Amino acid sequence: MKNEAQQTFLSEAGQAPGAGRRSPLAAFLICLPMMILTFMMLFGRQRPVGAVQDIAFAATFVFFNLMFFLMVYRQRTERYRAVLFIVYAVAFVISFISQIVELRGTMALTQANILRAEAPFCHIAIPMTLIPAALNKTLVFPASIAGGSHSAAAMFIIWIGASLALGRGFCGWGCFFGGLEDGFSRIFKRPLLKLTGGLWRYLPYAVLLVIVLTAATSLSPTYCMWLCPFKAVTEYVQVTSFTTLIQMIIFISLFAGLVVILPVLTKRRTQCALFCPFGAFQSFTNKVSGCGIRADKDKCVKCGLCARSCPTFSIDAESIEAGGSRLTCLKCGKCVDLCPKGALSYHVKGAAPAAKSDVQRLLFVYPAFLFLATMGGAMVRDALFRIVKLVATGHMIG
Amino acid sequence: MEAFLLGLSNGGVCLAYCAPVLVPCMIAEGGGAAASVGVLLRFLCGRLAGYMIFGAAAWAVSASLLRGGYRTPVFGAAYMVFAVTLVLYGFFGIGGRCGVSCGPASLLARLPGALRLSFLAPVAAGLATGLSLCPPFLLAMAGAAEKGSLSYSLFFFFMFFLGASVFLVPAPLLGALRVYPALKTVGRLAAGLMGVYYFFTGLLMLAGGMKGL
Repeated sequence: MKNEAQQTFLSEAGQAPGAGRRSPLAAFLICLPMMILTFMMLFGRQRPVGAVQDIAFAATFVFFNLMFFLMVYRQRTERYRAVLFIVYAVAFVISFISQIVELRGTMALTQANILRAEAPFCHIAIPMTLIPAALNKTLVFPASIAGGSHSAAAMFIIWIGASLALGRGFCGWGCFFGGLEDGFSRIFKRPLLKLTGGLWRYLPYAVLLVIVLTAATSLSPTYCMWLCPFKAVTEYVQVTSFTTLIQMIIFISLFAGLVVILPVLTKRRTQCALFCPFGAFQSFTNKVSGCGIRADKDKCVKCGLCARSCPTFSIDAESIEAGGSRLTCLKCGKCVDLCPKGALSYHVKGAAPAAKSDVQRLLFVYPAFLFLATMGGAMVRDALFRIVKLVATGHMIG
Repeated sequence: MEAFLLGLSNGGVCLAYCAPVLVPCMIAEGGGAAASVGVLLRFLCGRLAGYMIFGAAAWAVSASLLRGGYRTPVFGAAYMVFAVTLVLYGFFGIGGRCGVSCGPASLLARLPGALRLSFLAPVAAGLATGLSLCPPFLLAMAGAAEKGSLSYSLFFFFMFFLGASVFLVPAPLLGALRVYPALKTVGRLAAGLMGVYYFFTGLLMLAGGMKGL
């Protein structure tokens, strides 16, 4: 027991066996192309105007690239990804709400907005939209089909590209909601409530089945209308009736339960692991993506640390016996970083098992980080700008 | 023939109403195509029962026995009862004695075969969908209400049922999915979720109907 605790401590401190450091110069050279790419993305998308915007731009650029440098230099993934991912989610909420309020004067989505298809398209709606789009040529979501970064076409293109490259890594690196529960799941050092997943791991697939069928038959985004916890922190249908009041109560209850309370108590991403239909859908893309988590059974000492710490119940003795993580793996890298024996590693499909594991890790982390920076860079920058503005002027809207 | 054609022409809509409940039930049973036929037959029996209730109600309305005000809360309460069956089946019947919840599951396992939830759930699902107030149904109800006798009204709905059921015939092919054992659990959970949906629908109907009395 003591030995296991020591291993846990060592792993969490980043000193586990197999951990190494690259030379700063080599790490810098590896990071250089990423610096150029992130600079182009951040600068080219919306050029800073004024001192506050300059500061926000510079801070975002330095923050993202510092985290990436540390991932490369320290040969660790998860803790730096988590910092970026949580900041990204918080920035998304700040930036999104501010922009919606600036645009409409309220967070609520009115019937007029719905009729004008003014809702930004969200990736969670993708599974619901496929069957109606194929059968009826109808987009069952009140968003524009093309034109602008918030359109359905833009999100579909992003999703297809990210799915091919990352699989369900989309949920661990690109989802703008996941960071909220990731953040809440890190409040306590140890879980107050032990959750093993069990058969409830299948619930997201059941939610997926139900919402796909009901959306296809009712031609409406049933998940968004009734079950999305993140409506509580983004936009929601204006409360004008008893039904919309019930919807609002459901949104807030699910947010409080699945995104705040359960992650705090269990140290797991419960919304992603036990409820999200997009996550279930995205799990299938792990079959086609080029990278996954591989387990070396000979090195594994069956300490169970990976199973206890996986945020989505995606690894256990059974899956290790089968050669790696389950289909639901987010590729966050937590198990890889924590494994005291280095038995777990990122693995590029087709590469020899004996190939250098950190090279394979970088082959995944490079596109994954780029995706995160693409999705989150502008949001973090905008949120920083608004926070500075709030401090300086007392308001962040307008 | 008029009722049969009405059912046939609206079968697509009926399929749309049925699929979210029927598909999870079939997947949950995890049998092959033959077993899925059994599920479909039970579902259709429940659906036929729902239609017959509707036929009787249509006649009763025309005979001024069941005036409109009572219809909504009665159907709302019926929805809630069937929904509870689906919820029990979905969330408490999983995995036999050591499923999601051992207590209710072990109690339910002691019931005789014909009363087991796995047997009754498709019937309840069929009843719940059979009692839906979808547009084709209201059309059929109006048609049946015009008929003078109870037997004619029931026959009208029976023919409507036959026409509407044609679209469900290919459903047992879903039995091919039994090669994926996990789908059984997924199907049951999905049936439970649909139960929650029907319970909520019934609650709204009951509350709305009571308010209107």
